[in-house]
Amino acid sequence: MVLPPASGTGKYFVTAAKSIRLIRQGCTNRPFFHISVTHRKRLNTQPVIEQLGSYDPMPNANNEKLVALNLERIKFWLGQGAHVTEPVAELLGLSGFFPIHPRSYMMAWRNRRTERENLAKQEAEKAKEEATK
Amino acid sequence: MLSQNSLLKRTWPMLVQSMEAHRKPRWLPVAKSKIYRIPKRPVIPEEERLELMRLHNNYKTQMRSIRRFYHEEMIKERSSRESASSEMSKRIEAEEWVKCVELNDSWNKQVAAEREERRKHEVAALEEYALKRMEALDKLKEAKIAKAAEEIRKQKELSKTFITPETIDAAIDHAIANPVDYNFAIDLKGNKYEGRDTQITRNQGKQEKAASANA
Repeated sequence: MVLPPASGTGKYFVTAAKSIRLIRQGCTNRPFFHISVTHRKRLNTQPVIEQLGSYDPMPNANNEKLVALNLERIKFWLGQGAHVTEPVAELLGLSGFFPIHPRSYMMAWRNRRTERENLAKQEAEKAKEEATK
Repeated sequence: MLSQNSLLKRTWPMLVQSMEAHRKPRWLPVAKSKIYRIPKRPVIPEEERLELMRLHNNYKTQMRSIRRFYHEEMIKERSSRESASSEMSKRIEAEEWVKCVELNDSWNKQVAAEREERRKHEVAALEEYALKRMEALDKLKEAKIAKAAEEIRKQKELSKTFITPETIDAAIDHAIANPVDYNFAIDLKGNKYEGRDTQITRNQGKQEKAASANA
């Protein structure tokens, strides 16, 4: 049995709503995503219309998470009125194509806060140890 | 009705493994141990909520304008493409068409020449083949005729001994005068005893031996 190509079959209905979304293509314990445009009601296992990029969430040897984007086609599909899901919008925001997504800001300040709290905790522990000495 | 072809040539598999195959089915009730569990609601401080709302409002506004920009660009591009197809592009298209036709003609000529040559070769090969076949057939016929002639000659030679209405009486007389008996028997030593009613004396060989010894 032939599986549908991950890069897309190019078949779609013009009037149906499209969405640009991440589609998981890796295997167990190794996530890898294609950024593809599909019908909004299609499952992620179904053939996509077109692949617009890829996203590797696991940092490589240089501690980089690689993203590839076909901006020309993304522009085209946005012009056609395609919706963009939140994770993809975040990626596009970080790449400078969209404004930074509020979620990215939120994650940033929450991470900063937890870091600050951890630091404070460590300092408090240190102070305690010194006091006991 | 589903055609067989549509089943064979479908683009995606009939059975697709669901992403949520490991979850429990929807019709199962809440587990006994979880009946009174109330999931904890996330606590978002008022400050953060307001900030997020502001950010989201900004983001949505910006996104709307971006979307509109790309949509308008798409419309503009389409309209420019359509307007371009009026005069200039028509002329360019016509030129290109002429060029294409010339190229096509040249290709056709080349292909025709190649085809002519190929056809010649094919006809020659066909002729040779046909001639070979005809020769083989002629040879076969000649061989058959020769065989038949030989047979006729043999039969003619034999026909001298045939019994004809003129010679039949003589033949009958001859047959009656010389009766032939084809009955015979053979013993283990290979001795032949002709005739149907010939009496065989047992131990004939022994007696002979004894006689020879006596003598």
